[in-house]
Amino acid sequence: MAAADSPSAALRRRDLCSRGIRLAGKMRSDVVDLLDTYVEWQGLDASASVAAVEGVPAAAAERWDEQTGTQRLLENLAAYRAFRALLAQMLEEQREQLGEADTVLGRALAAVLLQVSAFAYHLEELLRLESRGPPSEEGAGPPPLPHLSLFERKLRGLGVLRELAQWAVRSARDLRQLAKPSPGSSSAPSPAESP
Amino acid sequence: QNLKCLTHNLRKMICTWDVSSKGRHGQTDFCYTTNDLLPAVCLKTKEKRVEIPVPESSATVTITTNSISGTAFATKEFEIHKTDISFVPLTPRILSLTPDFSTSTLNLKWIDNGSVFPYGLDAFWQIQILRKEVMEKVTQVTYYSKLTHEDIILSWNWRSDMPLECTSHYVKIRCYINVTQFVGPKDWSDWSPVEEVPGKDTEPNVSGVFPQDTVVAVGSDVTICCVHQEGRQIKQMKYEREIYPMIHLSSRSSAIRVLNASASHASGTNVVCELSEGDMDGTVLFVGYAPDIPQNLSCETSNFLIIKCTWKPGRPSGLYGERKTKYSLFERISVKNVSCEVNEMNRERACDFPVLADQKTYDFLLGVSNPIGRTESSLLVDLNQRVHPKAPEKLTVSGNSSTSIHLHWFINGSFAEIRLLCQIEISSGHSERKWHNVSMPGGKFSTYTAQLNTLHPYTKYQFRVRCAAADHFWRWSDWSRIEEHTTLEA
Repeated sequence: MAAADSPSAALRRRDLCSRGIRLAGKMRSDVVDLLDTYVEWQGLDASASVAAVEGVPAAAAERWDEQTGTQRLLENLAAYRAFRALLAQMLEEQREQLGEADTVLGRALAAVLLQVSAFAYHLEELLRLESRGPPSEEGAGPPPLPHLSLFERKLRGLGVLRELAQWAVRSARDLRQLAKPSPGSSSAPSPAESP
Repeated sequence: QNLKCLTHNLRKMICTWDVSSKGRHGQTDFCYTTNDLLPAVCLKTKEKRVEIPVPESSATVTITTNSISGTAFATKEFEIHKTDISFVPLTPRILSLTPDFSTSTLNLKWIDNGSVFPYGLDAFWQIQILRKEVMEKVTQVTYYSKLTHEDIILSWNWRSDMPLECTSHYVKIRCYINVTQFVGPKDWSDWSPVEEVPGKDTEPNVSGVFPQDTVVAVGSDVTICCVHQEGRQIKQMKYEREIYPMIHLSSRSSAIRVLNASASHASGTNVVCELSEGDMDGTVLFVGYAPDIPQNLSCETSNFLIIKCTWKPGRPSGLYGERKTKYSLFERISVKNVSCEVNEMNRERACDFPVLADQKTYDFLLGVSNPIGRTESSLLVDLNQRVHPKAPEKLTVSGNSSTSIHLHWFINGSFAEIRLLCQIEISSGHSERKWHNVSMPGGKFSTYTAQLNTLHPYTKYQFRVRCAAADHFWRWSDWSRIEEHTTLEA
């Protein structure tokens, strides 16, 4: 973090981090459930390989250990803002394609979207503890969606949810890293450590 | 030798012949006469063909072949009878071959050259469709038309059983004209040059699975193809989760044929094309039903402001979202059309239509359509005979006597043009329930009143009321809420 914390700020940050870790854990299990529902509802093969989806930030981070707390928060925030927009697009497409017939998947998608929005807000709270605060969202929306066929959209959705599940894992680890008392953190856990 | 004469238009004929002797020779003198009384007409030609008028009955032809220096070295006379002249129509000219990819339909337009022939001749057109890289014949159809002594553009559609994107389609055409009074041999024209509609497998860097996101009827046989880039291979093609045998179309396109497709679930049936290097492409097929004819269509009004039509949808179409069945209500007299917002999951469907000023009769046509088909149901309604009021509201009871009371209630709606029949239900603890009917002129968003006499003193009563149209009874409204009242002591 940028400067040594006052005791109350450190306490506040640790509290936000631990709540964030719980939120990330819950989100991950919900996303995994959603993935099962999505694959079944969309008639996809669970093992289908999906190319990297444009506009979806990759959860795998190079030199994860060397990132500062602010970098972690900023990357996380950018990711969840992107996921918020992507999930909203998916929900819109879902309603357009299925209308009233879609109850199960639509509700599950909406629930995860709510969690992603909440988590993004949570990250903004953490960034507010920093002197700089969260970056504004103008012009930060997702790239315009290229015209995709329905099958491509189905695969894209699968890619988005898989990446989101990965991000939930990474976020928990990032927040654990942040929760460690500053200044500077002790040796960080290796990326392979599961939440 | 071998003098042959052939006509394309019954007026002029083209005669051709062979020359037996080898070696070089000069011009040929071609003389013909169609009547011994007339002098012969002679033509000089280097070709071994000339065009001359078709004779009325027969013609005598003398062909003299000259040497290079111009001296005649061979002469031969021929007698051409009308029966020797064959008639072969000109090769038809294709004007356009237009694909409609959305319906996999080819539209062929050509000119019938009718102006060349007398009025009323029967013409037969053989149209051949070929497909794939190897130009395999798919079908041959004979189309019939009548010539009208004018050049008419003829048009013909052919719906492919395979998306036109899958591979190139080719069309050629030839014709036969049945000139009954022509006594010589008649034959088909030559085939026209082939017209092509190139498939996506001929466009560089284009790939995809076709048809893209389309809707078909349950029970259809569907061909789905996978077009891939040069150098790629298709490992397998799956329909839903079943691997299908592949049909080779070209080096960049293969297809599968699904027979008797069954209904897909809401998000459609995936068709997946697994390619080399782990790539995958696909499409989504929506297999559903054409809309059923709406059952029990019924229309009524509860307030003379809105007419509510309801119906039973019949078999679900299995199509949702932007492909779902759409309903519209068209009223023939006012020519007014209303589109209906309908929830596919509700068993009963409803649609509102505004009551129109000064119109009592409504001739409704409920139109139902989805991407697979269309149907309709109609109903003629006299609105005065279809009044189904809402339940009376704000029922109040007042009374300052021991044996009579006044009831007041409000009905939401504009009933000024009809009489209302209202039924008051009277019940009290120990005695039997009684009903009292009263009719009154309808009002506009009015409160109505009725008086009840011959009640028992000092007795606790429960009252409720319902109403209907008096003159043309259709349906009772629901009952109002119950209102209690105790009569005064005697």
